[in-house]
Amino acid sequence: MSGTGCDIVALKAINVARSQQSRFYSKIITDVEKSFYDKALSAIMPLEHFVWLAWSVKESVYKFLQRGKPDLVFSPSKMVIQQLKVPASASSLTGGRGFDSDTVYKGLVMFDGRQFHSASVITGDFIFSAVNDSDDFTGIHWAVKKIGSSEPDVQSAEVRRLISGTLPDLFPRQDLRIEKSPHGYPFVSSGDKELPVIVSFAHHDHWIAYSFVLNN
Amino acid sequence: MTREEILNELKKVFAPYTTNKEMLDGINDQTDLIRDLKINSANLVDIIIDAEAKYNIEIDYDSADKMINVGSCIDVIYDKLNQK
Repeated sequence: MSGTGCDIVALKAINVARSQQSRFYSKIITDVEKSFYDKALSAIMPLEHFVWLAWSVKESVYKFLQRGKPDLVFSPSKMVIQQLKVPASASSLTGGRGFDSDTVYKGLVMFDGRQFHSASVITGDFIFSAVNDSDDFTGIHWAVKKIGSSEPDVQSAEVRRLISGTLPDLFPRQDLRIEKSPHGYPFVSSGDKELPVIVSFAHHDHWIAYSFVLNN
Repeated sequence: MTREEILNELKKVFAPYTTNKEMLDGINDQTDLIRDLKINSANLVDIIIDAEAKYNIEIDYDSADKMINVGSCIDVIYDKLNQK
C-alpha cells in the first residue's frame, strides 16, 4: 500500500526568537539532529528554518502513519532525520507531480524501525514537506497556495477547492466528495465508495497545501 | 493545586493559540486541542513551553506527547506539580 503525508509551516507565523531557544527546539529535534545541523547546515540555513523543516518532515511522517494507526501519538523526539540532502538551487515551484531533486531538500527519517523519505520545498514564505515510504516521489501530487484568511474554516474550504482542481482529471465523470474520517484524516469518495487515493492536507496561517497518491 | 484550578489557568495558556474563543469557556477533559479548539499543531510546542513557565515545571518528551486534549494536559501538569 502506498501513502503520503504532508505539512506546511508559514515562516512569517513562527516565533523566530523562541524557535532558537534550546528549551523550544529540543522538543522537536534530537541531540543528534542538532549536532548534524551545527556541523553541516549552520552555514547555509538559520536554526529556526532547520527546526521547522524537521517539524514539517516529522508531522508528515505522523500523517502518513496515522491513517493506518488512528491512535498513534505524534512524538517528534522519537523520529530522527538521518540524512538531509541540500539542493543546488532554490525552488520556485508551488505544485506538480513529483519533485525536482535539484531544488528540494531530500531527507531520510527513521521512526519505529521504519524508513521514510521526505521532499521539502523551502522558500522565503513557507516550508512544505511531503513524505513517502520510498524514495520514488513520481506518484506524489502536491500543491501549495497562499490564501486570504488564516481562519480554520476558510483554510479547510480552500484546500478542498485547491485539490478539486486536480482530482477530477484523475477520476473523470465521478461526483467526488472529500470527507473526513472519525480519526481526522481526509478521504475521497464517490457515491457510497471510497476512491483509491490517499490524501493529506496541511495549513498554517495564510498557507494551505495538499499531497496525494493514487493507491492502485 | 486542584484539577479545576489547573483548568482555569490552562484556559489562559490556550487563549493566544485558539481561534475558537467561544469554546474556551466551556472546555472539558475531552476537548481536543486541534479538532475542537482549532489550535494549529505548530503551536503545540508553544503550549508546552508556556505551561512549563506558568507552573514552573519541566515537561519531558513522553509527557508532552500525551498533551492532545484538555484532560491529558491537566493530568500531566497535575503529576508534575505533585512531583515537585
